[in-house]
Amino acid sequence: MATEKITIEPVTRIEGHAKVTIHMNDNGSVDHAYFHVNEFRGFEKFCEGRMYFEMPQITPRICGICPVSHHLASAKACDILMGAEPPHTAVLLRELMHMGQIIQSHSMHFFELAGPDLILGFDADPEIRNVVGLIGADPELTLRAVQLRKFGQDIIYQVGGRRIHPNFAVPGGVNRVMTEDRREHMLANVERAIETTQIGIKLIKDWANANIADVEKFAVFHSGYLGLVTPQNGLELYDGNIRLVDKDGKQLELFGAQNYLENIAEHVEDWSYLKFPYYKKMGWPDGVYRVGPLGRLNVAEKIDTPLAQAEFKVYHQINNGNPVYQTLYYHYARLIEVLFAIERARELLENPDLMGKDILNKKHDLKSEAVGVLEAPRGTLLHHYKVNPNGQLENVNLIVSTGHNNWAMSEAVDSVAKTYVKGPNVKEGMLNRVEAAIRAYDPCLSCSTHAIGQMPIKIDIVDPDGTIRQTLQRD
Amino acid sequence: MKANTLIIGYGNADRQDDGVGWHILKNLAEKIGHQVPDDPGEVIEIESEIVDLRFILQIFPELAEVISGYERVCFVDAHTSDIPQEISWSDLDPQYERSPLTHHMSPKTVLSIAATIYGKAPKAILVSVRGYEFQFERSLTPKTAALSEKAQERIWEWINQGE
Repeated sequence: MATEKITIEPVTRIEGHAKVTIHMNDNGSVDHAYFHVNEFRGFEKFCEGRMYFEMPQITPRICGICPVSHHLASAKACDILMGAEPPHTAVLLRELMHMGQIIQSHSMHFFELAGPDLILGFDADPEIRNVVGLIGADPELTLRAVQLRKFGQDIIYQVGGRRIHPNFAVPGGVNRVMTEDRREHMLANVERAIETTQIGIKLIKDWANANIADVEKFAVFHSGYLGLVTPQNGLELYDGNIRLVDKDGKQLELFGAQNYLENIAEHVEDWSYLKFPYYKKMGWPDGVYRVGPLGRLNVAEKIDTPLAQAEFKVYHQINNGNPVYQTLYYHYARLIEVLFAIERARELLENPDLMGKDILNKKHDLKSEAVGVLEAPRGTLLHHYKVNPNGQLENVNLIVSTGHNNWAMSEAVDSVAKTYVKGPNVKEGMLNRVEAAIRAYDPCLSCSTHAIGQMPIKIDIVDPDGTIRQTLQRD
Repeated sequence: MKANTLIIGYGNADRQDDGVGWHILKNLAEKIGHQVPDDPGEVIEIESEIVDLRFILQIFPELAEVISGYERVCFVDAHTSDIPQEISWSDLDPQYERSPLTHHMSPKTVLSIAATIYGKAPKAILVSVRGYEFQFERSLTPKTAALSEKAQERIWEWINQGE
């Protein structure tokens, strides 16, 4: 059967990050679809030759979307390199900053970027399918949503003293103690943040119940799941071992980050610059897995804060205790994580040890290799450094969250395109669903540059002979 | 004293021409007698009788509250080859623009949030300067550096015209 091709190409920050190509059959159905990442990440090479202790300051400047995650993962790798375990207070302070990052990133994604699609409908007029449209539905919630993101960002600032590039975590600890006035300032806003998150959770649950047919056919596929857990298999965002479970939730591996190469390999496809990580022992493609909120709540057996745990129990029953595999539940999982992050932030703020003055271990016993890991908002983030005896970096390998989910995003695009896209007259709502499949994973593709491009989404419907039959574009 | 005009430069100053907003803001700060740290690693907030200046890494929702307190706002950024002009100067209307695939917000979007939540969006313009290289450097390419000087002069005129 002859095929034609649809290309969805956002002209993004650095020219040519990613695009979606949908290959159509001549009967108007979708043959297959790809999510391509055209971006070349050269910064690992760029870091070689630098001193290892510079990395916590260099890596946040590379990524503009989650600088705190890179900052902290890098500092954790440097702790190990230097042989200097951070004091207890320093660990608490770092984790608190990380909770701020989770809150600000997740809340912005749900309320400002992805939520309007869900709440106002994929087929709603694009003119109202936005945060402004949301205001019509619930003005108070919209204001609350802005304040929630601000609350998370404020935690980062109050802990680290900077709002853009943190320089707070250093090898062996941190460089700033907590003060009573800053602690009280953060605590004062906790209750309202919890309320807002609970409103959001009700919103997504009501939406899922009302749109269950869509939820059950939108990018629905099985995979493994990967994420950090506590020693009792609870949800963990800052530290712990990496747990990998299969599609049925059965544990495949539990390993320390230092051993990631024994368990994770990367597959290469000729249509994407971004590699495809998979579980080594199952091979490609059987060993594919997902990370991020959905992945984390599938590897966790509980959450150690009360409100998030209560919600987790409800969430866990979606598939009767089996892993939640429906892509649209990423949004529900994301908000449960916000709830956990706020509760965890409160626990940390109420812990007297947070006010300690012992924040830096100055031990220096240089090792040759180390891996730092944490759960960035989008998923597991690994920083792997090798240094020479002078402390200069000889090799850097970063496995970022979006990389882990590369297969899943492409699979989601393929699934949604086959389910919803019917050619040749592709409607805006169809295109929006394809975008929404990617947005559910909240990918970070921009790699920190912010130059203005027009950012249109363009679909070219190309006949088998190469002529463009129809172009659909949204600026 | 807070002015009624705000200039917002944004971008990543560690990624060469992407940081043109930072360079322009730094020079404007010097024009009104303020010094900006050499390390563009923090938010900059300068208030003066003539103009207020702010440098940020990216646009975020709570910026809506800030801009709703001004009569005029000028956003300064870099642009890629998708925009043909070397210096692009455009009026902005409050209008939500969705990020198709990734985690990102535009000036028009934050204006629309200001208008709807706070009931007021300032008169706004976007000045963007063509960027040619986005490597890991803090200095601008010569072409973008030359353009940034022109853009800065025009922004200065706009500030002083008061319209």
